Amino acid sequence: MTKTNDREFDTWREQWSSVADPPGEFQRKVQQRIKRQERRFVLGNILTAILFLGMLIFAWFMRHQSTWMGPGWATGIWVLVLVAAGCRVWVLRQTWRPQTQSTRSFVELWHKRVTARLRLLQISIYLSLGWIISCAVLTAANWRTIGQDVKVHPTEWVVVLVLCVLMQYPLLWYGVGWLRHRKLAELNEVEKILGEMQD
Amino acid sequence: MNYADSVTDRFAGQVKIVSEHRQVLETQFARILSEYGAAISRLAFSYEAVASVREELVQEIALAIWQALAHFRGDCSERTFVYRIAHNRGLTHVGRRRPLHQPLEELEESEQPVDPRPHLEEQVARTDQRAQLMSAIQCLPVTHRQMIVLALEGLSHTEIAEVMGITENNVAVRLTRIRKALKDALGGRT
Repeated sequence: MTKTNDREFDTWREQWSSVADPPGEFQRKVQQRIKRQERRFVLGNILTAILFLGMLIFAWFMRHQSTWMGPGWATGIWVLVLVAAGCRVWVLRQTWRPQTQSTRSFVELWHKRVTARLRLLQISIYLSLGWIISCAVLTAANWRTIGQDVKVHPTEWVVVLVLCVLMQYPLLWYGVGWLRHRKLAELNEVEKILGEMQD
Repeated sequence: MNYADSVTDRFAGQVKIVSEHRQVLETQFARILSEYGAAISRLAFSYEAVASVREELVQEIALAIWQALAHFRGDCSERTFVYRIAHNRGLTHVGRRRPLHQPLEELEESEQPVDPRPHLEEQVARTDQRAQLMSAIQCLPVTHRQMIVLALEGLSHTEIAEVMGITENNVAVRLTRIRKALKDALGGRT
């Protein structure tokens, strides 16, 4: 064991040791926080199950709607529920906890994760653009059928347009843009830390 | 015994095992907190200058230790395990929110424990020196901060190397450099 015994360092160590003790209620607060987190986890799972079930029931009723859009809505919701359920399982799975690794491994993995998240965001932007274009192309190609339905049920089509075009995309893009900005700032910090480590 | 009874018994057995395992973990966790609580608190000082945010950080570190405890298989010493988690959590904190390097006079003196010494002047001088040391440490680059904090906590070069994931030689070289930087920052006042 290598130990530095010079006076200067010992003085620093003495000063450092007297810096702070954890607050008196530290342990109780941590226990409370653990309980709160566990309760939140259980409640989150129950709410998610209720939400998924509700959406599936809603989709089931939509399927029997007389309009042309009913089955479309139902299919969309079913796919959304399946994807969301898959994502939740993926997030909740027992993964390797990088926090227990050495600082170097942790920072390197952190860098990889931030880079991957940024790449995913980039891909999602391209995918959403591709989705809009393919929807427009499909609508144009099937305009004869869709046009008739629009004439019969104009209000419902207006609702779809408002939901998809005016709300969904700007919100989605704003969200992606905000997340990308945050991740870029995080990447900058991680690269700074990596640089310090390699000095 | 029919099939339903056997299933019920097996389930009850599983519940008992899980509950016993949790009790063991809770005892271990309480011991870790009482043993390393002060060190975690000091460590949080080096990552966060604002008292309220620091308290939050200390709790987050404790929470991270709790979450990782079930997966601790003794691959490293418990001390290394705790310090790794604490520092990595501190790093995440720095990465997500750059710490505010507060000027010395803004450091909250009320947060400092009172030194039980009779002379007020001496006590004030000591508190001042401590605040200067803290401020100087907080101004170091984050990895240097980590290393000096570990050294001040009394970890050997081998243990520091284990926590940081670098070689012992590297630790020795860097510590010399960091100590010089710290000394320059303090202006030879200690």
